[in-house]
Amino acid sequence: MSEDTLIDAESAARVGTIAASATGEVNQRDWQRWAAAVGDHNPLYFDPDYARANGFRDIVCPPLFLQYAVLGVAALDTLRADGSSGAVSGGLAFPSAPKRMAGGESFTFYLPAYHRDEIEMVRTIESIVEKHGRSGSFVLVTWRTVYHNQRRELVAEASTSMIARP
Amino acid sequence: MNGELYFEDVGVGEQIPTLDVTVDETQLFFFSAATYNGHRIHYDKQWAQTVEGYDDVLVQGPLQAALLARAIGDWIGGRGRLVSFAVQNRATAHPGEPLTFGGEVTGKRLTDSGAGLVDLDIAGRRDETVLMPGTATVELPRREGPS
Repeated sequence: MSEDTLIDAESAARVGTIAASATGEVNQRDWQRWAAAVGDHNPLYFDPDYARANGFRDIVCPPLFLQYAVLGVAALDTLRADGSSGAVSGGLAFPSAPKRMAGGESFTFYLPAYHRDEIEMVRTIESIVEKHGRSGSFVLVTWRTVYHNQRRELVAEASTSMIARP
Repeated sequence: MNGELYFEDVGVGEQIPTLDVTVDETQLFFFSAATYNGHRIHYDKQWAQTVEGYDDVLVQGPLQAALLARAIGDWIGGRGRLVSFAVQNRATAHPGEPLTFGGEVTGKRLTDSGAGLVDLDIAGRRDETVLMPGTATVELPRREGPS
Protein backbone atom coordinates (compact mmCIF):
# COMPACT_ATOMS: atom_id res chain seq x y z
CA MET A 1 0.00 0.00 0.00
CA SER A 2 1.52 3.32 -1.06
CA GLU A 3 2.04 6.28 1.21
CA ASP A 4 -0.65 8.30 -0.52
CA THR A 5 -3.36 5.73 0.08
CA LEU A 6 -6.83 7.16 0.60
CA ILE A 7 -7.44 4.72 3.44
CA ASP A 8 -6.14 5.75 6.84
CA ALA A 9 -4.81 3.06 9.17
CA GLU A 10 -7.56 3.60 11.70
CA SER A 11 -10.27 2.86 9.15
CA ALA A 12 -8.36 -0.10 7.72
CA ALA A 13 -8.12 -1.65 11.17
CA ARG A 14 -11.88 -1.69 11.49
CA VAL A 15 -12.53 -4.21 8.71
CA GLY A 16 -14.38 -7.17 10.21
CA THR A 17 -15.63 -5.24 13.19
CA ILE A 18 -19.13 -4.03 13.94
CA ALA A 19 -19.57 -0.56 12.47
CA ALA A 20 -22.94 0.15 13.94
CA SER A 21 -25.79 -1.47 15.72
CA ALA A 22 -29.15 0.02 16.42
CA THR A 23 -32.67 -0.88 17.32
CA GLY A 24 -35.80 0.86 16.24
CA GLU A 25 -39.51 0.39 16.07
CA VAL A 26 -41.14 -0.03 12.69
CA ASN A 27 -43.77 2.66 12.39
CA GLN A 28 -46.56 2.70 9.83
CA ARG A 29 -46.74 6.48 9.56
CA ASP A 30 -43.02 6.64 8.87
CA TRP A 31 -43.16 3.96 6.16
CA GLN A 32 -46.27 5.54 4.64
CA ARG A 33 -44.48 8.90 4.45
CA TRP A 34 -41.61 7.12 2.73
CA ALA A 35 -43.97 5.35 0.30
CA ALA A 36 -45.72 8.65 -0.43
CA ALA A 37 -42.35 10.28 -1.15
CA VAL A 38 -41.68 7.47 -3.64
CA GLY A 39 -45.18 7.85 -5.11
CA ASP A 40 -45.73 4.22 -4.17
CA HIS A 41 -49.39 3.72 -3.25
CA ASN A 42 -49.21 -0.06 -2.98
CA PRO A 43 -52.26 -0.99 -0.83
CA LEU A 44 -50.19 -3.60 1.04
CA TYR A 45 -48.64 -0.62 2.85
CA PHE A 46 -51.89 1.27 3.46
CA ASP A 47 -55.00 -0.94 3.43
CA PRO A 48 -55.35 -3.58 6.18
CA ASP A 49 -58.22 -5.38 4.45
CA TYR A 50 -56.22 -5.67 1.24
CA ALA A 51 -53.13 -6.86 3.10
CA ARG A 52 -55.14 -9.49 5.00
CA ALA A 53 -56.77 -10.70 1.81
CA ASN A 54 -53.26 -11.29 0.47
CA GLY A 55 -51.94 -13.39 3.31
CA PHE A 56 -50.54 -10.83 5.74
CA ARG A 57 -51.88 -10.24 9.23
CA ASP A 58 -51.93 -6.45 8.70
CA ILE A 59 -50.42 -3.78 6.46
CA VAL A 60 -46.72 -4.41 5.94
CA CYS A 61 -43.61 -2.29 5.95
CA PRO A 62 -42.21 -1.78 2.43
CA PRO A 63 -39.17 -4.07 2.26
CA LEU A 64 -36.78 -1.27 1.29
CA PHE A 65 -38.00 0.92 4.16
CA LEU A 66 -36.77 -1.50 6.84
CA GLN A 67 -33.26 0.01 6.73
CA TYR A 68 -34.60 3.39 7.85
CA ALA A 69 -36.66 2.11 10.78
CA VAL A 70 -33.56 1.86 12.94
CA LEU A 71 -32.07 5.27 12.25
CA GLY A 72 -31.24 7.20 15.38
CA VAL A 73 -31.08 10.88 16.17
CA ALA A 74 -28.31 13.09 14.83
CA ALA A 75 -27.53 16.34 16.63
CA LEU A 76 -26.93 19.09 14.10
CA ASP A 77 -23.51 19.94 15.50
CA THR A 78 -22.36 16.36 14.90
CA LEU A 79 -23.09 16.35 11.17
CA ARG A 80 -20.35 16.29 8.58
CA ALA A 81 -19.78 19.44 6.52
CA ASP A 82 -21.84 17.93 3.70
CA GLY A 83 -24.82 17.61 6.02
CA SER A 84 -24.70 13.83 6.25
CA SER A 85 -24.59 11.87 9.47
CA GLY A 86 -21.73 9.46 9.97
CA ALA A 87 -23.96 7.13 11.93
CA VAL A 88 -24.91 4.83 9.07
CA SER A 89 -21.28 4.31 8.10
CA GLY A 90 -20.24 3.75 11.68
CA GLY A 91 -18.33 7.02 11.75
CA LEU A 92 -15.91 5.91 9.05
CA ALA A 93 -14.21 9.04 7.80
CA PHE A 94 -11.69 9.19 5.01
CA PRO A 95 -10.03 12.59 5.39
CA SER A 96 -8.41 12.18 1.97
CA ALA A 97 -11.69 11.16 0.33
CA PRO A 98 -14.49 13.27 1.81
CA LYS A 99 -16.97 13.11 -1.10
CA ARG A 100 -19.22 10.15 -0.62
CA MET A 101 -22.02 8.53 -2.54
CA ALA A 102 -23.96 5.32 -2.28
CA GLY A 103 -22.40 2.47 -4.25
CA GLY A 104 -25.04 -0.19 -4.28
CA GLU A 105 -27.32 -2.24 -2.11
CA SER A 106 -28.29 -5.89 -2.11
CA PHE A 107 -31.07 -7.19 0.09
CA THR A 108 -32.57 -10.57 0.86
CA PHE A 109 -35.95 -10.47 2.57
CA TYR A 110 -37.11 -13.36 4.74
CA LEU A 111 -40.10 -12.11 6.71
CA PRO A 112 -42.50 -9.16 6.58
CA ALA A 113 -42.20 -6.42 9.18
CA TYR A 114 -45.28 -4.97 10.81
CA HIS A 115 -46.18 -1.80 12.69
CA ARG A 116 -44.45 -1.72 16.09
CA ASP A 117 -42.09 -4.58 15.34
CA GLU A 118 -38.81 -3.96 17.13
CA ILE A 119 -35.96 -4.30 14.66
CA GLU A 120 -32.34 -4.80 15.64
CA MET A 121 -29.73 -3.99 13.03
CA VAL A 122 -26.11 -5.10 13.26
CA ARG A 123 -23.77 -3.76 10.58
CA THR A 124 -20.28 -5.16 10.08
CA ILE A 125 -17.56 -3.63 7.94
CA GLU A 126 -16.89 -6.34 5.38
CA SER A 127 -14.21 -4.65 3.31
CA ILE A 128 -12.48 -1.34 2.59
CA VAL A 129 -10.72 -1.30 -0.77
CA GLU A 130 -9.03 1.42 -2.78
CA LYS A 131 -9.93 1.30 -6.47
CA HIS A 132 -8.55 3.12 -9.46
CA GLY A 133 -11.19 4.03 -12.04
CA ARG A 134 -11.23 6.22 -15.12
CA SER A 135 -12.15 9.23 -13.01
CA GLY A 136 -9.38 8.59 -10.49
CA SER A 137 -8.96 6.74 -7.23
CA PHE A 138 -11.75 6.06 -4.80
CA VAL A 139 -12.48 4.02 -1.71
CA LEU A 140 -15.13 1.29 -1.83
CA VAL A 141 -16.54 0.31 1.55
CA THR A 142 -18.85 -2.69 1.88
CA TRP A 143 -20.98 -3.44 4.89
CA ARG A 144 -22.92 -6.58 5.79
CA THR A 145 -26.07 -5.94 7.75
CA VAL A 146 -28.54 -8.26 9.44
CA TYR A 147 -31.98 -7.30 10.70
CA HIS A 148 -33.78 -9.31 13.38
CA ASN A 149 -37.16 -8.71 14.95
CA GLN A 150 -38.20 -8.89 18.61
CA ARG A 151 -38.67 -12.66 18.29
CA ARG A 152 -35.05 -13.00 17.13
CA GLU A 153 -36.26 -14.00 13.68
CA LEU A 154 -34.08 -12.98 10.76
CA VAL A 155 -36.13 -10.45 8.79
CA ALA A 156 -33.58 -9.35 6.20
CA GLU A 157 -29.93 -9.31 5.27
CA ALA A 158 -28.18 -6.62 3.28
CA SER A 159 -24.88 -5.87 1.68
CA THR A 160 -24.42 -2.16 1.04
CA SER A 161 -21.52 -0.18 -0.30
CA MET A 162 -20.32 3.40 -0.33
CA ILE A 163 -17.89 5.19 -2.59
CA ALA A 164 -15.67 7.90 -1.11
CA ARG A 165 -13.70 10.12 -3.48
CA PRO A 166 -11.06 12.83 -2.97
CA MET B 1 -51.81 -2.58 -9.75
CA ASN B 2 -52.38 -6.09 -11.03
CA GLY B 3 -55.06 -8.12 -9.31
CA GLU B 4 -53.38 -11.48 -9.66
CA LEU B 5 -50.18 -12.45 -11.37
CA TYR B 6 -49.35 -16.15 -11.32
CA PHE B 7 -46.05 -17.90 -11.78
CA GLU B 8 -47.46 -19.76 -14.77
CA ASP B 9 -48.37 -16.49 -16.51
CA VAL B 10 -44.81 -15.24 -16.72
CA GLY B 11 -42.34 -16.09 -19.46
CA VAL B 12 -38.59 -15.63 -19.73
CA GLY B 13 -37.83 -12.58 -21.84
CA GLU B 14 -41.02 -10.82 -20.80
CA GLN B 15 -40.74 -7.14 -19.88
CA ILE B 16 -42.42 -5.85 -16.75
CA PRO B 17 -44.49 -2.66 -17.26
CA THR B 18 -42.22 0.38 -17.24
CA LEU B 19 -42.68 3.09 -14.64
CA ASP B 20 -42.02 6.62 -15.94
CA VAL B 21 -41.12 9.25 -13.36
CA THR B 22 -39.68 12.75 -13.57
CA VAL B 23 -38.48 13.55 -10.08
CA ASP B 24 -38.76 17.20 -9.00
CA GLU B 25 -37.08 19.03 -6.13
CA THR B 26 -40.12 18.67 -3.90
CA GLN B 27 -39.96 14.90 -4.21
CA LEU B 28 -36.22 14.98 -3.48
CA PHE B 29 -36.91 16.97 -0.34
CA PHE B 30 -39.65 14.63 0.88
CA PHE B 31 -37.53 11.56 0.20
CA SER B 32 -34.59 13.02 2.11
CA ALA B 33 -36.96 13.83 4.98
CA ALA B 34 -38.52 10.35 4.94
CA THR B 35 -35.07 8.73 5.06
CA TYR B 36 -33.54 11.21 7.55
CA ASN B 37 -30.88 12.12 4.97
CA GLY B 38 -29.19 15.46 5.51
CA HIS B 39 -26.74 15.22 2.61
CA ARG B 40 -26.63 18.64 0.98
CA ILE B 41 -26.19 17.35 -2.58
CA HIS B 42 -29.92 16.60 -2.58
CA TYR B 43 -31.14 20.12 -1.68
CA ASP B 44 -28.27 22.63 -1.78
CA LYS B 45 -27.61 23.38 -5.44
CA GLN B 46 -24.65 25.64 -4.71
CA TRP B 47 -23.01 22.95 -2.58
CA ALA B 48 -23.68 20.31 -5.25
CA GLN B 49 -22.08 22.49 -7.90
CA THR B 50 -19.19 24.22 -6.18
CA VAL B 51 -18.09 21.60 -3.67
CA GLU B 52 -19.03 18.29 -5.24
CA GLY B 53 -18.81 19.29 -8.89
CA TYR B 54 -22.26 18.29 -10.14
CA ASP B 55 -24.47 20.25 -12.54
CA ASP B 56 -27.39 20.31 -10.14
CA VAL B 57 -28.72 18.60 -7.02
CA LEU B 58 -28.87 14.81 -7.35
CA VAL B 59 -31.72 12.34 -7.25
CA GLN B 60 -30.98 10.04 -4.30
CA GLY B 61 -29.74 6.59 -5.26
CA PRO B 62 -32.11 5.04 -2.70
CA LEU B 63 -35.01 6.90 -4.35
CA GLN B 64 -34.09 5.37 -7.70
CA ALA B 65 -33.94 1.99 -5.95
CA ALA B 66 -37.33 2.60 -4.35
CA LEU B 67 -38.81 3.51 -7.73
CA LEU B 68 -37.48 0.25 -9.16
CA ALA B 69 -39.02 -1.64 -6.25
CA ARG B 70 -42.28 0.25 -6.88
CA ALA B 71 -42.29 -0.94 -10.50
CA ILE B 72 -41.75 -4.51 -9.32
CA GLY B 73 -44.42 -4.22 -6.62
CA ASP B 74 -46.95 -2.86 -9.11
CA TRP B 75 -46.23 -5.79 -11.41
CA ILE B 76 -46.38 -8.63 -8.86
CA GLY B 77 -49.49 -7.39 -7.07
CA GLY B 78 -50.65 -8.23 -3.58
CA ARG B 79 -49.76 -11.91 -3.59
CA GLY B 80 -46.26 -11.54 -4.94
CA ARG B 81 -43.29 -11.26 -2.59
CA LEU B 82 -40.00 -9.48 -3.10
CA VAL B 83 -37.39 -12.08 -2.15
CA SER B 84 -34.20 -10.30 -3.10
CA PHE B 85 -33.24 -6.98 -4.63
CA ALA B 86 -29.80 -5.73 -5.64
CA VAL B 87 -28.84 -2.51 -7.44
CA GLN B 88 -25.75 -0.50 -8.23
CA ASN B 89 -25.50 3.28 -8.54
CA ARG B 90 -23.83 3.73 -11.91
CA ALA B 91 -24.72 7.27 -12.99
CA THR B 92 -26.29 10.33 -11.42
CA ALA B 93 -29.69 11.82 -12.21
CA HIS B 94 -31.01 15.32 -11.68
CA PRO B 95 -34.51 16.65 -11.04
CA GLY B 96 -36.50 17.38 -14.19
CA GLU B 97 -35.05 14.47 -16.15
CA PRO B 98 -37.52 11.85 -17.40
CA LEU B 99 -36.50 8.50 -15.90
CA THR B 100 -37.80 5.01 -16.56
CA PHE B 101 -37.81 1.99 -14.27
CA GLY B 102 -38.38 -1.49 -15.58
CA GLY B 103 -37.16 -5.03 -15.88
CA GLU B 104 -37.06 -8.25 -17.82
CA VAL B 105 -37.68 -11.82 -16.71
CA THR B 106 -34.44 -13.80 -16.95
CA GLY B 107 -35.40 -17.05 -15.27
CA LYS B 108 -38.06 -19.11 -13.53
CA ARG B 109 -37.51 -21.84 -10.97
CA LEU B 110 -39.24 -23.78 -8.24
CA THR B 111 -37.85 -24.11 -4.75
CA ASP B 112 -37.69 -27.48 -2.99
CA SER B 113 -40.92 -26.56 -1.22
CA GLY B 114 -42.60 -25.76 -4.52
CA ALA B 115 -42.60 -21.96 -4.40
CA GLY B 116 -42.39 -20.24 -7.78
CA LEU B 117 -39.48 -17.85 -8.08
CA VAL B 118 -38.94 -15.44 -10.95
CA ASP B 119 -35.59 -13.77 -11.58
CA LEU B 120 -35.39 -10.32 -13.12
CA ASP B 121 -32.82 -8.00 -14.57
CA ILE B 122 -33.92 -4.53 -13.56
CA ALA B 123 -32.74 -1.04 -14.47
CA GLY B 124 -33.41 2.63 -13.91
CA ARG B 125 -32.66 4.60 -17.08
CA ARG B 126 -32.52 8.10 -18.50
CA ASP B 127 -33.10 7.59 -22.22
CA GLU B 128 -30.54 4.92 -23.14
CA THR B 129 -28.27 5.61 -20.17
CA VAL B 130 -28.46 2.97 -17.45
CA LEU B 131 -28.35 4.82 -14.14
CA MET B 132 -29.03 1.88 -11.90
CA PRO B 133 -28.70 -1.73 -13.07
CA GLY B 134 -29.63 -4.59 -10.83
CA THR B 135 -31.32 -7.90 -10.26
CA ALA B 136 -34.32 -9.04 -8.27
CA THR B 137 -36.11 -12.25 -7.41
CA VAL B 138 -39.81 -12.38 -6.69
CA GLU B 139 -42.04 -15.18 -5.53
CA LEU B 140 -45.35 -15.49 -7.35
CA PRO B 141 -48.34 -17.62 -6.41
CA ARG B 142 -48.89 -20.81 -8.41
CA ARG B 143 -52.22 -21.68 -9.98
CA GLU B 144 -52.00 -25.23 -8.72
CA GLY B 145 -50.48 -24.35 -5.40
CA PRO B 146 -47.15 -25.83 -4.28
CA SER B 147 -46.98 -29.48 -5.24
